[in-house]
Amino acid sequence: MLERITLERRANPGTVLSIATYSGALALAIVLSLAVIIAAGVPTGALFEELIVQVFFSPAGLARTLTMATPMMLAALAAALCLRLKFWNIGIEGQLLLGAIFATTVALYDIGGPLRLPLMLIASALGGALWIAAPVLLKLRLGVSEVIVTLLLSNVAFLFLQHLLFGPFGDTSHNFPTSPVFDETEKLVRFGFGDTNLGLVIALIAVAAIAVMIHRLRFGFASRFSGDNARAAQALGFNTNRIMLVSILLGGAMAGLAGGVIVSGTEFRLTQAVGVNMTFNGIVIAALARNEPLWIPLVSFCIAGLNVASATLKVFYGVSEGVVLIIQGIILLTLVTCQFVATYRVSISPAATNRGLV
Amino acid sequence: MIEFLTAWLASLPGFMTPLLLASVGLIMCERVGVLNLGIEGVMALGAMTGAVVALAGYGPWPALAAGAVVGVVISIPFAIAVIVFRAPQIPAGLALVAIGIGTSEAVGRDAAHKPFAGLEAVALPEALINLPIIGRMLFQQDSVVLLALLIAAVSAFVLYRTHHGLRLRAVGEDPATADAAGVNVQIYQIAAVVTGSLLIGLAGAYLSVGGSQIWTEGMVAGRGWISLALVVFAQWSPVRAIFGAALFGGAEALIPRLQILGLEVPIYFLSMTPYVLTIGILILISLRGRARQVEPGFLGRPYIRQDR
Repeated sequence: MLERITLERRANPGTVLSIATYSGALALAIVLSLAVIIAAGVPTGALFEELIVQVFFSPAGLARTLTMATPMMLAALAAALCLRLKFWNIGIEGQLLLGAIFATTVALYDIGGPLRLPLMLIASALGGALWIAAPVLLKLRLGVSEVIVTLLLSNVAFLFLQHLLFGPFGDTSHNFPTSPVFDETEKLVRFGFGDTNLGLVIALIAVAAIAVMIHRLRFGFASRFSGDNARAAQALGFNTNRIMLVSILLGGAMAGLAGGVIVSGTEFRLTQAVGVNMTFNGIVIAALARNEPLWIPLVSFCIAGLNVASATLKVFYGVSEGVVLIIQGIILLTLVTCQFVATYRVSISPAATNRGLV
Repeated sequence: MIEFLTAWLASLPGFMTPLLLASVGLIMCERVGVLNLGIEGVMALGAMTGAVVALAGYGPWPALAAGAVVGVVISIPFAIAVIVFRAPQIPAGLALVAIGIGTSEAVGRDAAHKPFAGLEAVALPEALINLPIIGRMLFQQDSVVLLALLIAAVSAFVLYRTHHGLRLRAVGEDPATADAAGVNVQIYQIAAVVTGSLLIGLAGAYLSVGGSQIWTEGMVAGRGWISLALVVFAQWSPVRAIFGAALFGGAEALIPRLQILGLEVPIYFLSMTPYVLTIGILILISLRGRARQVEPGFLGRPYIRQDR
């Protein structure tokens, strides 16, 4: 059987095949995910109620889903901006934490007077950009793999957060590692619908701004070109290094802003839980949205729903939080594996000289 | 001072062994061109499995074996995705991380924070153990420490002194040429990834069964990522990985020692040192420009015969 199978790269998969591949992968991922949830002990009859109705159609559930989707959109932008230039940002959590730390610093030291809240958000974006500056510069100057550096810097950022929470930023009124609660002027406005807050609008504006940049501005065109074929872009006189630097710093800034929005919009203080699993959420959302900013809000909404549902499943059915992680892994693996169908043409030739799947 | 040195050196092999096993496992994968980012998740699963089996009372060796086998099982979907279906290796590896960590959390919930009887040090004459400074480092260790060194040596022998090793390296270096010479590229890749995952799973199991003798969520704590950098440092050679693991393990072993000394450095900054050291070493290697030369030529790229 295997003897006669050969692979060929498709020059252009075409719209129909691309959409069919994507939908097929999604369907397969959903079936596998449901199987995992059922195996984890959720009764089949409760699936629709818990995963769809409670999360998207009940007011409380919808509010929680929208609140959770807010930082996820920004984290996904961070992943997508970097991935478009084939830069693997696997340290979104680290940039997010730095953003949260910078925003908290502005809040705790009462910097900026009446402009404190905008200053907190700007500081958070700066913190995120700062944390990704080292990996991108190391990659551009010395060719150091960004994969390992961004990963390790995430661990460093988390240890730095712990240092602050158990030290200078710690709230001395209780024994839990959190910062003191922010003042009223340091909190984003709430809409009166659960915890949803101005952060949602900020995230949507960021999505729109980046979509405009990528699709309408000269810089966006150059960065798309540079991401598709860096060598050709360079040959045509584009400064690919500068394009990469600016895009990646912008990506880091988005991750930082996610941290700023979390502390000023929902948590109102710095905690150890800020940013948990955000790297993976961001990358999965970006992969599902195929790095297209305009798809990010919808995908974030769905993935946020999954996370919200997991909290309920944990309480009512004793399902571990690890299950969400497994499902996200399954979605990502299914998605990249099924890409095979659109990327390669499989031909079965009668010649018996080829061996294996080559 | 002598007391400090003795205690530090005595704890070094315990920190070095999981890094060595993991990086030799990674070298196997990377030598056939497969970048296995999933290592952090596979180690997490190995650690959990080892603890569960040890807690069930089967003893340390079956626990280690179970961790290694589960490491292979969880890596099979990844291997099929990247080798058969040519999926991009970085996202596929990340997916493996999520599946591994997620499974270890979901399955191991009841095993967390429960101490169990793990590996014991091999019983050797007191006279040897009491030798100044190096006595405990050399003679008061469990047998996996020795096994890991043997595995590194055997891997080096297989890679550099056998036909299979030559073919294996050729597959990662230049699969088109290997293919033309009649080597079945995919079979070698699958065999190497399976062997590598076995060692990575064992490395994870050693963390719980050999080292801490207790399992907690997140106990791998970036050791998989550090191993990825260690492979670059070792220039994809199992023998150099021994020195790399000793260096990184030695730095890690220093942290609890310095804490005991009551040093004034804040504990969380001290805990950052392995990660910062790793980045520093990566920068040094790049400055010397050696990494690019010795990196397997086809690392991280999918091969199809059309490209030949």
